[in-house]
Parts: sequence; C-alpha cells; structure tokens
Amino acid sequence: MLSDIVINILEDGLFAALAAIGFSSISNTPRRAYLICALLAAAGHSLRYVLMLPDGAVMHIIPASALSAFAIGMLAVLLAPRIKCPPEVCFFPALLPMIPGMYAYRTIQYLLTTLCHTGEEAFQHYFYLFVYNGLTSTFIISGMVVGATLPVFLFKKLSFTATC
Amino acid sequence: MMTLKTCDKKRSASGVALQRFAAFLAEYAALLYGCGATSIRIEKNAARMARAFGINFYIFIMPAHVSVTVWDDDESDAAVAARRTAACGISFNLNARLSRLSWVVADQCLSLEDAAERFEKIKQTKPTGKWEVLVLTSIANASFCHLFGGDGVAMIIVFISTLVGYRLKQIMLEDGRDVRLTFLCASFFSASLSAAGHIFNIGGTPEIALGTSVLYLIPGIPYLNSVSDVIYRHYLCALSRFFEAAILTACLSAGLCAGMLILGLKTF
Repeated sequence: MLSDIVINILEDGLFAALAAIGFSSISNTPRRAYLICALLAAAGHSLRYVLMLPDGAVMHIIPASALSAFAIGMLAVLLAPRIKCPPEVCFFPALLPMIPGMYAYRTIQYLLTTLCHTGEEAFQHYFYLFVYNGLTSTFIISGMVVGATLPVFLFKKLSFTATC
Repeated sequence: MMTLKTCDKKRSASGVALQRFAAFLAEYAALLYGCGATSIRIEKNAARMARAFGINFYIFIMPAHVSVTVWDDDESDAAVAARRTAACGISFNLNARLSRLSWVVADQCLSLEDAAERFEKIKQTKPTGKWEVLVLTSIANASFCHLFGGDGVAMIIVFISTLVGYRLKQIMLEDGRDVRLTFLCASFFSASLSAAGHIFNIGGTPEIALGTSVLYLIPGIPYLNSVSDVIYRHYLCALSRFFEAAILTACLSAGLCAGMLILGLKTF
C-alpha cells in the first residue's frame, strides 16, 4: 500500500518533469534551465498530488496548488542564481503542468452550451458548470502566482540579483 | 553576490545624449515586454541601467507601447522616447539575457555604446529549434495525458495529435497567419485526430485523450504574467495579457467543439 503510494508519487513527479521540459521549450527557455525546471515541476506537482490524496491531507485543488507553487517559488529563488537566470525563468515553466487548462477551456465550452439552451433548468445547470470551471481556474492560477511570488517578496535581494 | 550601485564615474548627459539614453531604454523595455517579462521585471531592469548611466528615469508601460522619460539632475534637460512593444513571442532565453545585460551595465559601468552593442547581439538570439520544440511538446502533452489518468494508448494518441497539431501551428505562424486562426485550426486538427480513440474504440481512456490533446495550446505564461501584474498594480497590462490569453483559450475551445461536432461526439 505504502509502496504503491511512493511509486505513484515518483511517477507523478517524473511525468510532470517531462511536461515541464516540453512546455518550457515552447517559451524558449534557456537549455541550462531545463534541469531545474524539471526538478521544480516534479517537486511541485508531486507535492500537490500528496496534498490532494484521498487518504492523506484531502486538500482542495486551490490551496494545494498555492502551497505547491510556494514550494516551487522557494526552490526557484535558491536555485536560479546558480544558472544566472531570474527566478521566473525557472518557476514559470515549472508551474505550467499545474495550469488548469481543462478548467479554462471547459469554461468557454460551457458558456457556449449555456447559450444553446433556453430551458431554465438546462440553462442553470450549464451556467453553474460555466461559473464553477471559471472560478476554479481563476483561483488556481491566482493561488499559484501568489504562492510562487511570495518567496520573491521574502528574498527580494536574492531574487532580483539572480542574473548578476 | 553583487549589489546595485551607481557608477563612480558619474556620467552627465544632456540634450542629444539624453535622447539616446531614452531611446535605448525604451527599446530595451519594449523587447523585454515582448518576450514575456513581467512589468515589475521591466521596471527593475530599466531603472537599474538608468541609475548606472547616472540619469533620472521614469517608465510608463502600456500593452501596446512603452514610454520612457529621462532627465538630468538639475532638471534643465529632459527627453522622452516611446517604442511599440516587440512582437517576438515569449522567450525566457531573451528575458534572462536582457536581465543579465542590465546587471553587466550596472556592475561594469558600461557606456551607452557598449550596452547598445550588446543589446543588438541579444536581439539576434535564435529561438529553440523547431523540431526540438515539436518533439518535446508532443512528449510533454503525452505525459500530461498520463497525469490526468490516461493509459498508454491514450498517450500515443495524444503524442500523434500534438505532433500534427503543433506542426500545423508552426507552419501557419511561419506563413504569417493570424494567431487566433492558427490556434483554432491546430486545436481542431488535434481534437479530430485524438477522437480516433472514441470512434474506433481504441484504449480504455479515449475521453482523456480527447480532453488533453489540445492542452499544449493553453497560453499558460500570459495567464501567469497577468496575475503577477495584478500583484504589482499594473492593472492595464494585466487586463491586456488576460484578455489575450482568454481569447486564445476561446479559439482553442471553439476548435475542439468544432472537431467534436463534425465527428458526431457528444461529451457534454
């Protein structure tokens, strides 16, 4: 049972790292930052996985994402000076696997579906799904950025001298 | 660790020289905005260089242009320069190199000419190779599919649909097509291909393959930048970046819906 959980955590971290490297390549991240981006994404995503485990902390996705982003931000502030990059060059790509993409595009899809239904019950149902997905994605992204930016505030001097 | 300092050999500037400082800083800030830096990063970097040049400085960042005002200590002379924000696409490589330039200017007391020369070299930075990005993105999206619970077959389907969709995006952007139309077409292609799992009953999680096949198009960086700009009270830039990202999300959503409608799939 415990070994299954450990394997799942490692698997989650591995695939999050692969996703972070791929998505960061779209944003022309310097090659020397790939390894740190992968490491941060693996740490953050697997931490969120642990926080959301049904048998564990059972945390909601919004605070779990914010806490994981905080961990990513802390690691980025510490590791970014080693590769002479600003912290956001490391933590923004690492946050990409946690971006609530499905919530974001379902918000638009349910908005369109709402407009296609004139009956009150169906309209309210799809409107509820539209608002639910929209609010969830907004708060996940906000929580993530606030969480990841907090260490930059806390260690301002280190964060803004990372490239020197 | 180095600390921010004003250069000892304080350089006084006036008239034409001030105009050149303003033009350089405006161009620098416009490129930094274009490559996806947050507004606070643009402010800090440009202010660091202005301080090293020994001039007073004010920056006004708007979504479409950047305006820089510089003036000398006795306020007898001032210059203003405005530049359109660069449309170079998000590049953390440029962001890192430009940030580094600001520190080199501050620590080595570079002259404006030297700084401008280095800036020109940075502008020539090549983006990551297109085939490398294509393969890495496809692997990333397949990994993403696994994170959402997709099985091996779903991962293969997502890999192929991302490969085709992303290649289409590259071709259309190279061809100068509108970015919104590009997102719509790429998501339509990816969604239509990944619907194969549903239509031919391949694999155990075809709905996850379909749902994750378009996620590589989600504009994550503009969303993150917009929230960062809100935190630092750059509300107009935040709003602009948010709407840009939301419109692209709407386009990819429309492409996905169109693909599902044409293939007769109903998941809602």
